[in-house]
Amino acid sequence: MNIIVPIKQVPDLVEELEIDSSGKDLDREWLKYKVNEFDDHALEEALLLKEAHGGAVIAIALDGDDIDKALYAAAAKGADRVVKVTGNYAGISNRAAAKVLAGVIGGMNPGLVLTGVQSVEDRDGQIAVLLAHYLGLPHVSVVTGVEVSGGNVTVHKEYGGGMVAEFEASMPVVLGVQAARETPRYVPVARVRQAMKSTELEEIAGGDPGVSSGSSISRMFKPETGGGAEMISGSAADVAAKLAEIIKSKM
Amino acid sequence: MEITREVFRHFPLWMQIVFYIAGLATIAFFLYGFYRRYRKYRRGTDAGRFNNLVGRFFKALGAMATNRTVYKRDTYAGTAHWMIFWGFVVLFIGTVIVAVDHDMVELAFGAENRLLQGGFYQWFSLFLDVFGVLFIVGLLMMLFRRGSKPPQLDYKRPDLKEGQYDRSGYKKDDKAFLWLLLIIGVTGYFIEALRISADGMPAFEVWSPVGNTLAKMFGENTANTLHPYVWWIHGIFVLGFIAYIPYSKAMHMLLDYANLMFKDDLAAKRLPRVSEEKMKQGQGYRKIEDFTWKELLDFDSCTKCGRCHVACPANASGAPLSPRDLILDLRTYADASIGNGTSEWFGQTYATGVKEGKGEKAPAVAGDIIKADTLWSCTTCMACVEACPVGIEHLTSIVNLRRTLVDAGTMENSLQDTLANIGDYGNSFGQSDRMRAKWTKELPFKIKDARKEPVEYLWFVGDYASYDSAVQGMTRKVAGIFEKLGIDFGILYEAEKNAGNDVRRIGEEGLFEMLVEDNMAAFEEAEFKEIITTDPHTFNTLKNEYPEFGASYPVHHYTGLLCKLLDEGKLKFSKKLSHYKVTYHDPCYLGRYNGETEAPRKLLEALGVEFHEMRRCGANSFCCGAGGGRIWMDDSKLEKRPSVQRIEEALEIDGVNLFIVACPKDYTMYNDAVKSSGNEDKIAVKDIIELVEEAI
Repeated sequence: MNIIVPIKQVPDLVEELEIDSSGKDLDREWLKYKVNEFDDHALEEALLLKEAHGGAVIAIALDGDDIDKALYAAAAKGADRVVKVTGNYAGISNRAAAKVLAGVIGGMNPGLVLTGVQSVEDRDGQIAVLLAHYLGLPHVSVVTGVEVSGGNVTVHKEYGGGMVAEFEASMPVVLGVQAARETPRYVPVARVRQAMKSTELEEIAGGDPGVSSGSSISRMFKPETGGGAEMISGSAADVAAKLAEIIKSKM
Repeated sequence: MEITREVFRHFPLWMQIVFYIAGLATIAFFLYGFYRRYRKYRRGTDAGRFNNLVGRFFKALGAMATNRTVYKRDTYAGTAHWMIFWGFVVLFIGTVIVAVDHDMVELAFGAENRLLQGGFYQWFSLFLDVFGVLFIVGLLMMLFRRGSKPPQLDYKRPDLKEGQYDRSGYKKDDKAFLWLLLIIGVTGYFIEALRISADGMPAFEVWSPVGNTLAKMFGENTANTLHPYVWWIHGIFVLGFIAYIPYSKAMHMLLDYANLMFKDDLAAKRLPRVSEEKMKQGQGYRKIEDFTWKELLDFDSCTKCGRCHVACPANASGAPLSPRDLILDLRTYADASIGNGTSEWFGQTYATGVKEGKGEKAPAVAGDIIKADTLWSCTTCMACVEACPVGIEHLTSIVNLRRTLVDAGTMENSLQDTLANIGDYGNSFGQSDRMRAKWTKELPFKIKDARKEPVEYLWFVGDYASYDSAVQGMTRKVAGIFEKLGIDFGILYEAEKNAGNDVRRIGEEGLFEMLVEDNMAAFEEAEFKEIITTDPHTFNTLKNEYPEFGASYPVHHYTGLLCKLLDEGKLKFSKKLSHYKVTYHDPCYLGRYNGETEAPRKLLEALGVEFHEMRRCGANSFCCGAGGGRIWMDDSKLEKRPSVQRIEEALEIDGVNLFIVACPKDYTMYNDAVKSSGNEDKIAVKDIIELVEEAI
């Protein structure tokens, strides 16, 4: 069974973020990148499944800032193959990324595709859905914990309000992972360094997506401070009435 | 009358031959046991301890002759051990002289040329009699001590419940060792007494005062009859003891000299590097052949004196670690895994629950034999290594085993996050490296950037002093004092990374090496002569570990530098702080690791405070519980945190209201301990720099 894990690098929020001169993107010159937290969980889940059921874990990523580092780290953790899809994919949308990735993953005989359900810089949280669409595979997203038995997977999906649903799907399937069963493992620096020396980072030329996102960024800005807050007090009915009044006045 | 005594008094030849045959068989058995041990140590990897052999030989000889490592902090046990040791040595040499005299001198030069006659015989008799008394009194003192059940001799394990382990073998060995020696000593006197009595109480035997006195108890005929029986009882016990030596705790008589001789003076202070080969295969220990021969020797050298057991802050706070049990478990593991099970007659078996490894997967040394929780409990305070009278380097083995855990990622999430932070940002706080020097912004002056202009002192600030909001105030005070005293200093700003002392002690060697490389690259960029730091952890690694990587600079702790300026008259105090009644906590990495106990005390004296020592101070200080990465791990399971125990220790001193520290981690740990134990109205924690600032 091949378990494909698409990963990506996202800006590190520990650093102070600046908006660039276009006003539509971050100033990326000084940005530091780290692997998307949810992708890290997807990789962990993939490694746990491999340890329990065998198979091969293939980490795959579109070319981008600091992506080699992330792929080597995945190899150090136990990914059997690491693949960089080359091409100019800076600022690519999820829809386009999904199409390019699907073009490569389709040829890898996937049994499971596990990817992070979302990332800090993605606009729609739809990467798993879109991947499934382009691969023509079933999908479940916002998944916590994956169990494989025979040709089926059983997964749990979280809903709002503390509801959890259990799904069963036949493989191959695409899963958007919210959290792995265990905290993503620590990989010692020596192992990463060793992976950098000994791992073959495969490069596959990616296609032209030919699609764009349905949405576009019109302005990026830091949260703006409002002009103070008004505390509403009184009974529930009074507060509700007051709120309705305010909302009406703003519409 | 001829002044001498007859060896094998009145024995027929066949009896003498029987004794020689038994003697040779005993020696063969002894040598075989010794060989088994040697074979075991040969299995270990190189430990790099064959430098300066002559120096090592004499240093260990001095330690052995004086028994100073046994005497340290235990006058009673030290005195008793000294008496037994010298009693044994003198009696042994006496026996060798008798053997040489009888079997060589007499055979070669004739009976008339024997050494043991006349004046020499008399002095010989007196000497042996006196040391025999010391020997027996020492043994009785030790028996009495065992009977009084001191805590260090309690075999109770902190990590297992009663019934999950069996230490009856050790207890038997402890008893056998003392009683065998005692029986040998006492029967020796009785042979002497019986011989003197049977010989008709010769006048010159007053030179054997004990034997001569005891001889009066026996009539001449009775003595003549009894003598061969008691002689043989003594002889059998002596031969039995010789046979017992290499298979029991008696082996410490030989091994522990070797262990002291091969001890690394920098043990624990400078941890062993991991070879490139090992880094590739995965750092840490997985099988017995991974241990160095010195570690294998360490495990066998333990006499179970329990000094490490009672000194250990983990054990004292209910964590599942006793350095003694760790060493003994590793001994059992070493013997079991190389099929040397009988190298100890009175050993322990594996604790219940440990996989024996027959047929199934062999137990992992880091994880099964020594549990991960046990290894992670260590605060690397080095109290065990410092307390050990026989040169065992517990900490080296602990870190080597931790390296295995780190390689497999077996650690608490919080620790994992911290390591990831240090890897990503160079600091344990997970903040941007660009924020490292943010604490300087509130200063009324600008600190030089050592990368841009030459300075005399490079101040290596360290993580806690830079990032911890509770410590930053202290850091600014240090900067203010340095500035005021006209010290030419600078910092590395964002180029400084965590120095890696605790990263290395966690067992993340690759990350440590990366930090060393980064810091050394920053040193290269800067121009300075010496390094100063307020952090004892940083101080230790820069002083003891960086030189192995090529960064050799004089390193000072700020207390040392301030003390030097005090001596030179450059630091003067305008006020006496006599209204403070203070005690001072020696940071492990300053006092115990690096012997710097004087400078802070001299400063306190100059400050004019009323100073009181805690029960444990100097090299014997008690850890705050933060070291070796513990500060990033969960301590909620501890019965009583070491820091709280330490505050209570300070409060034992009547009226002490200030707890002085000289370490950023101590500052946070003890402030927290004072608050959480509800002692805020009784005692306050201050960094020594606060007093300096107040008095200057």
